[in-house]
Amino acid sequence: MARGTIPILRVADNLLVTVQTELHDAVADAFQEDLLTTIEKTGAAGLLIDVSGLDFVDSYVARVLADTGRMAALMGTATVIVGIRPEVAATLVRMGYKMTGVRTALNVDEGLALLPRR
Amino acid sequence: MPQVNYMSRLRLDERELHSRRAFFELTDEDLARLGSLRALADRHGDSVVDALYELFLGHPESRGFFPDEATVRHVKKMQREYFQGLFAGRCDLAYVEDRLRVGAVHQRIGLSPKWYIGGYSRYLRLLLDRMFADLPPAEAQAAYRSATKLVAFDMSLAIDTYIAADQDAVARHQAAIRELSTPVIRVHHRVLLLPLIGTVDSHRAGQIMETLLLRVSDEQARAVIVDIAGVPTVDTMVANHLLQTTEAVHLLGAEVILTGISAQLARTIVKLGVDISTMHTRARLADGIELALSLVGREITSKSDRTDRADRADRADRADRADRTDKA
Repeated sequence: MARGTIPILRVADNLLVTVQTELHDAVADAFQEDLLTTIEKTGAAGLLIDVSGLDFVDSYVARVLADTGRMAALMGTATVIVGIRPEVAATLVRMGYKMTGVRTALNVDEGLALLPRR
Repeated sequence: MPQVNYMSRLRLDERELHSRRAFFELTDEDLARLGSLRALADRHGDSVVDALYELFLGHPESRGFFPDEATVRHVKKMQREYFQGLFAGRCDLAYVEDRLRVGAVHQRIGLSPKWYIGGYSRYLRLLLDRMFADLPPAEAQAAYRSATKLVAFDMSLAIDTYIAADQDAVARHQAAIRELSTPVIRVHHRVLLLPLIGTVDSHRAGQIMETLLLRVSDEQARAVIVDIAGVPTVDTMVANHLLQTTEAVHLLGAEVILTGISAQLARTIVKLGVDISTMHTRARLADGIELALSLVGREITSKSDRTDRADRADRADRADRADRTDKA
């Protein structure tokens, strides 16, 4: 899968990403790479990843998302993951997966409120 | 309660009818024989029905179902039709439907199977007497054999209706209990409350998590108060389920506040070594509500505070006006 499949929008100081395609290994890698490069270029204050379009998130995808958040944090960018579906949350918790180090919010509005303003 | 279609509930189609009739050895010949006895049925219908109701009305328990004369007249008329039905000479799906309706009515009014079967027992004896009185012995014997087959067939339908209705009632109650076991209440805009009462096993815990997550997502709740004052024992398993639920709710972007923690429970949790530091906890529900409200940017203030403030504002306003009047 080519890079740039998942569009990264810049809104003021923040980056906004809506994940709607399933994150297979290749897509996930490219996505992470894309995001980190964009952060490097823009020096965005915050990153918001909307996953409400995902019906299915396995532990691999969850880890990619959380890792991306932690990597962004290293670069000084706060990350919020929004729109995790109830069934997805239940599955992740049952598998014993903990999304440590990343904040979550119900929707894009709430998520944006959590991001810093410069 | 909705009217149940017992035909489909019992899966009574042509195939089932065929196999049931085969099992009761109810042949077309039997039906034709009964059909040929219509004159006998007409002759004895009233006396058979009267004798049957002597049985029902003679017992205090079953008598209760027939409070007045009008009811007795009505049910006797129905019974008369039922009796004629035995000699209709047919046993098709329409016949079955008719029989199921009778069974459903009896089930609904709470007439228990013992009255039903007892009634049928007298029915058969009444038929036996009349058949042997009116017909040559060989013919009477054949007629009686056919009648017992059809009556037993009818009984099977009635009993199946009873059982199906009971099963439906049990299923309804189970659904009600399931619903009652996770009553998620909306306390305030974006604040939910789940008062847990009774024992929490892993099945219920899973259900609690699912219901709660769906509600949080539907209502876009910011805070969920889980009050466990009504849970008699909290062990490691329950505590871990609560932790999982908290974790999952957190993934959605909301917070869980655990309230109703008694001194004993606090001791248990610490002794069990369960780490619930990720949860907001409060001893009392009221404190939990205050915390939840603060999460949605609200607070509960005392009315007198507000009155004081209003008074002050009012006084200042009056002073201001007086001031202006003075100047004028």
